[in-house]
Amino acid sequence: MTLAVFRNELHRIFSLKPVYSVIILAALVYSVFYPQPYLNEALRDVPIAIVDQDGTQSSRELARLVDATPDVAVALVLPDVATAEREVYLRNIYGILLIPQYFERDLLHGRASPVALYADASYFLMYQRMSGAVAGVARTLGAGIEAKRLIGLGVDPAVAAAATDPMPLTVVQLFNPQGGYATYILPGALILLLQQTLLIGVGLLGTLPGANVARGAGARDTSGLLYQAVTIVLGKLLAYLTVETMIVLFYLFGLPYLYGIPRLGSVVSILAVALPFSLAVGALGMVVALIFRRPLIVQLVFAAIGLPFFFLAGFAWPAEAIPQVIRTVAVLLPSSLAIDALVNVAQLGATLPDVRNELLGLWLLAALYGGIAVLFEFRRLRQSVLPEPLPDSSSYARP
Amino acid sequence: MQRRGNLRPGFWLVFWREFSWFRRRPFLVAITTVVPLGLLMLLSAIFSAGLATRLPIAVLDLDHSELSRQIIRFVDATPDTAVAVQVADLAEGRHLIVSRRVRGLLMLPQNIERDVFAGRRPEVVFFYNAQTFTIGNLTLRGVNAAVPTVAAGVRVALRTAEGQPVEAAQEALTPVPVQVHALFNPTLNYVFFLLAALLPGVLQTAMVTTMAYAMGLDVETPHRLRILRRLGGGLWPAIAGKALPYTVLFLAVLGISDLVLFGILGLPLRGQSLVLMLAGVLFVLSCLLLGALLALVLRPMATAISIATLMTAPAFGFMGIGFPRIAMNWFAYIYGGLLPGTWYLTARIDQTIRGTPLELSWRPVLVLALFVIVLAGLIFIRGQVLRARADAASAARLSQSREAVT
Repeated sequence: MTLAVFRNELHRIFSLKPVYSVIILAALVYSVFYPQPYLNEALRDVPIAIVDQDGTQSSRELARLVDATPDVAVALVLPDVATAEREVYLRNIYGILLIPQYFERDLLHGRASPVALYADASYFLMYQRMSGAVAGVARTLGAGIEAKRLIGLGVDPAVAAAATDPMPLTVVQLFNPQGGYATYILPGALILLLQQTLLIGVGLLGTLPGANVARGAGARDTSGLLYQAVTIVLGKLLAYLTVETMIVLFYLFGLPYLYGIPRLGSVVSILAVALPFSLAVGALGMVVALIFRRPLIVQLVFAAIGLPFFFLAGFAWPAEAIPQVIRTVAVLLPSSLAIDALVNVAQLGATLPDVRNELLGLWLLAALYGGIAVLFEFRRLRQSVLPEPLPDSSSYARP
Repeated sequence: MQRRGNLRPGFWLVFWREFSWFRRRPFLVAITTVVPLGLLMLLSAIFSAGLATRLPIAVLDLDHSELSRQIIRFVDATPDTAVAVQVADLAEGRHLIVSRRVRGLLMLPQNIERDVFAGRRPEVVFFYNAQTFTIGNLTLRGVNAAVPTVAAGVRVALRTAEGQPVEAAQEALTPVPVQVHALFNPTLNYVFFLLAALLPGVLQTAMVTTMAYAMGLDVETPHRLRILRRLGGGLWPAIAGKALPYTVLFLAVLGISDLVLFGILGLPLRGQSLVLMLAGVLFVLSCLLLGALLALVLRPMATAISIATLMTAPAFGFMGIGFPRIAMNWFAYIYGGLLPGTWYLTARIDQTIRGTPLELSWRPVLVLALFVIVLAGLIFIRGQVLRARADAASAARLSQSREAVT
């Protein structure tokens, strides 16, 4: 029985064009298409303008050092801030480094000689790159000047170095050594794409004709029908799992390898999280089909919904900043738990006990949505066997 | 039938017919209004905090000195970071990071106080989870602010020990201070940066797919297309009459989302509201025309909707908000340039937080206008092709039946 349902569902996945398109083709297309914007990994050479009101050796040296950083590039040298502002509005540059008059004189006199950076904060990544680069250059330059001054005062060079930087801060970037954008966004996004394609695919399968091979034949009593409902749902889930196995392997192992995303987790522990995730999504897909009933509605509702789902996962925007109510409700989506669990296991190298809450949650979701699907299947089976004692009113059972 | 009195074919006939469809298909109304508005509320709630503050980090204090405690206090006091837990060794810290209970680990080495004042320059090490980009950068910012502040105090102490007066020592600490001004979004608020861009991003997908569906209902077969053309008294009035109800509905949704953003979440409107509205209308029109074109080119309708989804659902990444377009590869740069949303977001950022002067604001608006013109032209050409094809088919049928008669 389960096997018959399994075979029928598997056959439908490959023979129904809309289903095949979304579960297999769309998954393949997205795997190439979606990562494109991020493949360069890093934002480099953000164009900025220098407004050098000093025009001295030192100010030109500062400009040269800023230009030499990988993060920013001096694209324009402009006479005043107003002209530079215009270029910012036109998006030709994203920042203005203003070196005021007497920059060199103040430095030579041993006074603090400030510079000003006007950085476009309407794009956060640009802002972060520019402010980081300029602050870094100013710090290095300042430390050199300070050490020279101290040595000039007769301080021992070793002590001078200690006096400028007594406890250097060493920063270690874990799990994303280059600070790459693709390394950050793809692991989470790929899991969301897995969910979206399977959810829409199963939603279509449940709403397109031919979903019900069993008509409740044989069994009449409640327990018999319930048993049948369970076997039908299990058979379908097994079919989804079979197809999804290939796609999950491709998405969680193949793509990270192709796109050069570090993977620390073991294959077994990744699969141990992927299994309840796939089951939960498959079961949720069946519930989706029951709610929306028509394939076009499934397609339209789920088209726009993927983007918000991504931000629910507490991945791009920290979970700590999301209101508690929303976080609680978000747990009902397999992706919210799975993105946390899978990224922790695969990219951070967490062990299964580290993610046991998420794992348990995913199994509970699979059971919850599977249970709902069984109940609806049971109701359908009972309705389909009802009319037999009353052949005259058969039309009323299935309106 | 004569009740309305003006059932002449034309724009208004198709327009009112579309509205009566809304009554018959409540789901169409849901998809145009309830779903986008629901997603709008959800996204607004997610980002309602605007800033992510006090992200938890762990501390491994191997010194337990006055200085190490001072560093911990300063790190805890920055708005970005909070010291959530003190760990006993690196392994424990690592465990907390991989289970994502903390975002980073600050390690203060043994004898740090003694070594600092002896001029041995001990290292303070901060390990952080850089996999979560945004969050990692925020924690780094906090630690980057706190540790140098403590170090500055130490530096002043070291200098005064060398015999420098305190004021001169403080003055000499940073020879080249940088005053960083965050233009346009001084508090680095995520509502103005990300949420304000996400809503049009979601709406773009909703508009293109919905229009592909609505148009698909009428053009799936040549017969239906002919009916639509007759009802509208030509292809143009028919398509205009069909698109206007959706334009009205989506503009209303966009308007409501803007009311929330400007009224409740405090997004500034520093530019020209008229330019923003014009860009909004052109954005809605180009998305709807794109949907209509897809329905005219692709059949069956389910395929048109699938392709519309494929094109617009992953579009947010291409629009250059999180990861700027100038850093993308050529494919992503070009694809992003072909999306109406990219230009609408540009115009939107210009007119809201940037307050771009009027004379510098026109480029994105003109690109959107160009989209509308080109898409309308393509629809016209496609309509002519379909018509010619239908005419040829009926002519063939006619000659066939004539042959049968003779």
